[in-house]
Amino acid sequence: MAQNQTHFEIFGLEPGFEVDRKALAERYRELQREFHPDKYASKSDREQLLAMQYAAQINEAHGTLRDPVRRAGYLLKLAGVEVSPERTTSDAEFLMQQMMLRERLEEVRGEADPAAALDELSDEVHGLFASEQKHFAAVFADGDLDAGKDSLLKLQFLGKLQKQVEELEEDLLD
Amino acid sequence: MALLQISEPGQTPEPHQRKRAVGIDLGTTNSLVAAVRSGAPEAIAGPDDSVILPSAVHYGMKEEGERDIAVGAPARTRAGEDPYNTMLSIKRLMGRGIADVKSFGEQLPYRFVDSDGGMPMIETTAGPVSPVQVSAEILKVLAQRGSEALGGELDGAVITVPAYFDDAQRQATKDAARLAGLHVLRLLNEPTAAAVAYGLDQKEEGTIAVYDLGGGTFDISILRLSRGVFEVLSTGGDTALGGDDFDRAIAGWIAEQAGLGSDLDVSTQRALLDRACAAKELLASEDSVALEFGDWRGSLDRAGMAELLDPLIARTLRSCKRALRDADLGAEDIDEVVLVGGSTRTLRVRERVEAYFGRAPHADIDPDQVVAIGAARQADVLVGNKSRDDLLLLDVIPLSLGLETMGGLTEKIIPRNTTIPVSKAQEFTTFKDGQTAMAVHVVQGERELVSDCRSLARFELRGIPPMTAGAAHIRVSFQVDADGLLSVSAMEKSSGVSADITVKPSYGLEDADIARMLKESYAHAEEDVAARALREAQVEAERTLESLLVALRENGAELLSESELDDIERGMEALRLAHNGGDADEIHRRIEALNELSEGFAQRRMDASIKRAMQGHSLDEFDK
Repeated sequence: MAQNQTHFEIFGLEPGFEVDRKALAERYRELQREFHPDKYASKSDREQLLAMQYAAQINEAHGTLRDPVRRAGYLLKLAGVEVSPERTTSDAEFLMQQMMLRERLEEVRGEADPAAALDELSDEVHGLFASEQKHFAAVFADGDLDAGKDSLLKLQFLGKLQKQVEELEEDLLD
Repeated sequence: MALLQISEPGQTPEPHQRKRAVGIDLGTTNSLVAAVRSGAPEAIAGPDDSVILPSAVHYGMKEEGERDIAVGAPARTRAGEDPYNTMLSIKRLMGRGIADVKSFGEQLPYRFVDSDGGMPMIETTAGPVSPVQVSAEILKVLAQRGSEALGGELDGAVITVPAYFDDAQRQATKDAARLAGLHVLRLLNEPTAAAVAYGLDQKEEGTIAVYDLGGGTFDISILRLSRGVFEVLSTGGDTALGGDDFDRAIAGWIAEQAGLGSDLDVSTQRALLDRACAAKELLASEDSVALEFGDWRGSLDRAGMAELLDPLIARTLRSCKRALRDADLGAEDIDEVVLVGGSTRTLRVRERVEAYFGRAPHADIDPDQVVAIGAARQADVLVGNKSRDDLLLLDVIPLSLGLETMGGLTEKIIPRNTTIPVSKAQEFTTFKDGQTAMAVHVVQGERELVSDCRSLARFELRGIPPMTAGAAHIRVSFQVDADGLLSVSAMEKSSGVSADITVKPSYGLEDADIARMLKESYAHAEEDVAARALREAQVEAERTLESLLVALRENGAELLSESELDDIERGMEALRLAHNGGDADEIHRRIEALNELSEGFAQRRMDASIKRAMQGHSLDEFDK
């Protein structure tokens, strides 16, 4: 596994948005079984250091490929498109929808049945997130990088919103 | 073949000789050591025939003015009469700064003093001692038990820590081991060790919850097992919640019933706690216990105790919910529940855990021994006695790691529950025109504000060439190794100036401190410091020679040219001579030289493994 190998190459997967999660998980365990520093606990310091570097690289690749937002960003990066974190989508309709969703999230606690209100919102956000992922996969497969970039910005929004929904779910549990 | 003709001097052990390795559970209340003997792991008893060593250290002075240190049961019995000099629950103070320690002050009856490094020291009649030193005393006794049982000096130890331990606490534990003269093979999370002890790794796959309620800490870990790979999906818990709190809750109730005020002296507090603990243990088998304290007489039944403990148990179940959530699972997805820690003997705990997970938990192995037994199994594997390819433990970091940015906000670099080892980098820039230095403040925690997180380390990057604000590119890299220990480096890209730090919290031990403490402890034990240093260098030389020898046998001929092989062999011969010579510095120089000679070989071996792994993969794919 050389420094210049892509995450997809490390995992022996075809580069693309659709990832076989089962193959990814199996391959991850195979690689860790080979390179985890524990396998080198009684080896020389150098080998231990190398093993740690490889294992870290494997973990980074695995973390990126497993997460849809990071995976999309990584695919664009491989295609030579850098998306700066400050950039935001210019799709006004999308932004409006995001604002409404966020407002609803803030109001959940005040609802008569917060858990039910949050469930409904959670389903909606999950649905939007899933369909945006499909959209990204389609435009990226067509080689439309500009559309891919815009889709990534939306994915970042939705991913963050989903995380906030989950955090609130956790708070309500307590 | 030339490779087989390499001669070995008498002192270099045969590569296949069985190694002596132990697993150590360094607990808040009790500690244990276990080892694999004739194939099976078992806890090792001390001279009193008990496998449990109370985590208690008593400091006193002999008449001749020498320190008199007692460890274990004899120390614990002194707690009532001499509380200030008897160290109990010291694990709670490991890796903690003076500010943290003050917040425990009400619960622990010690006199703390500041030291130069901000590390809390405890005043005793035998002088100030640090939590690391106290832990080292416990470890020394356990190591002694291990080496007596295994018949010689130990080659290595696996020491367990709560999954929730942060970097500073892990580092402190490693420092204590070093001080006790132990070679640490791995710091292992306690719950993972417990699952290994139950042999759950023999199963094909499953999702396991390990509920570990010890004397002073609570841990919940969600593990996934899949074809021999143990993956820690998430961990959670509370570093300041345990059976000691049960005792305190019951003691508080007794004090209230007996009409005692809140301003109790240390001996009374201790007596109340002892009474409470005894009542708790009796209620595991009795329905009700009679109690008396001073003039007061009363009783406590199971329902009464449940009422006192339920709020504490509820806190543990909230942590369980959170850990399940982090793992993207519900309680119904858990296939096995494992109980660890003496406090899980309390029936109320079992009832509530069973109700929460909807299944009866594993509790066949003594919950006090289960962690040490798992650690012993893992130690046996890591030291190289067994090539168990079917057991691999993947761990995650328990808390997010990040940096302080403008306005006292935290920028997370590595989120919690990321699998380790891991390295991540992020770029930052300067805030002012002409700024030539940058302060890097490393923090740990989940909160937005730096002031709510735990400060791990600070360092400065100096010598940045003057540029306009925002023009400099400073790359800050985080690296966490398999033990969960962090190192951080920062580099300005255009000039290449860099700075780095291995996170040693300000209240941790510097190498010089460790050297000094070692010297002191040996001065007391009348051991020769130089002899110790030489022995350590020799052990390291043996390890280096042995691993290289094995490597050469495996694929030296295939990966090295004749002249490279010659160079390495000459380096090995030089190290062997130094090994037998008796100059520790010379040995270290030879080890370093040999490491340099063999670096290319190590790299090529690694590449060869990768090729093998890749080939294995494509074969698998053809099979499908």
